[in-house]
Amino acid sequence: MQNKLSFHQSSVSLEIIGLPDYSNNENKDQISIISQWKLTIIDKPLIEGKIEHLVPIMNAFYIYSNLLVKNEIPLYESKLIDIKADNLHIHNIVLKSSKPNVKPLILKIGNSLLSDTINCFDQLNESSKVRIKKTDLTNNTPKKLRFGLNNKVKFFNFIMPPFIAICSIVLFSSSFIYFYSPVEDKEKNELIN
Amino acid sequence: MSRQSIEKLDLLLLILETIDLNGIQSLYALSNRLNLNDVLPNKVTIWKLRNNNPLRKSYVNNNIKVDEFDALIKITVEMSRYLYPYIREILQSKENLEKNSVIWNDFNNRLIDLIKERFNLDSMRVKKLLNQTENDEMIIKSLLTLSLCISNKGYQKLKNFLFDF
Repeated sequence: MQNKLSFHQSSVSLEIIGLPDYSNNENKDQISIISQWKLTIIDKPLIEGKIEHLVPIMNAFYIYSNLLVKNEIPLYESKLIDIKADNLHIHNIVLKSSKPNVKPLILKIGNSLLSDTINCFDQLNESSKVRIKKTDLTNNTPKKLRFGLNNKVKFFNFIMPPFIAICSIVLFSSSFIYFYSPVEDKEKNELIN
Repeated sequence: MSRQSIEKLDLLLLILETIDLNGIQSLYALSNRLNLNDVLPNKVTIWKLRNNNPLRKSYVNNNIKVDEFDALIKITVEMSRYLYPYIREILQSKENLEKNSVIWNDFNNRLIDLIKERFNLDSMRVKKLLNQTENDEMIIKSLLTLSLCISNKGYQKLKNFLFDF
């Protein structure tokens, strides 16, 4: 008997069907082995598939929404899914089938349905009852952020060694202030003369 | 905190206030519920922090602290969660103006009134916000930003959007 979990947000619902991983001593209501998923958007054709399709589709939505909000060109293209903005309010989604001779499914959704869909995906990501392999799901943190953090670390590694070197020279040379007294030296010179 | 991130956050709060007529009171009530009383002890503090937005008439550079900025982000996310059905409705109304133009027009007019009331009208950026042809995009993107930050990880998401990472 398979488990079924649903996530709802206004006009969109996401259904996950699968089994727990008993080899990991999981509860019987857990889903770790996803066999099927269904994304229902009101007034639109049903979208369903296997786990290997769900993760790329989720990533596509996340990346596209990031581009949209950050004033970048809202366009996402992959082997499985293309999303582009028709205008400020309508988003064009093309889902390509992996089977030959199957026409791609084209959907047009507005901003309200786009946010409902992403909120459903968020619920799935945050659910403790469904485990999606983290390796499959790329980090939602935008690439730019990851790049930025890497750059900061590189910059830190670059600047720290010379900074420590300069500090140690300053500390080392400051200790000589106590050994050398110009006044005493002057007096000694006068005595010699 | 960068000037842009404070501008963006204050604008998002202004949009939430446009939807919730009793917005200032709601923001304060949420800060209590989220146990942010240490950082945001009263409505005046929230107002003072928001005055760090250079677009405001009453702009004062108080060097907003990280925990104060974080607290404002948290109440923005929480309020978006409560107002999600309305945010969604406004977005939807713009998608089909022939059917639902009343909702969008009401929202837009009230937002413009609030901008005129609180922002420095001599600023070119504020003039852009008031420009009917240019402000649609800004409003839709702001509403979309709020609608995408209602999950448990909404705080981190909104922070990323604000700092434009």
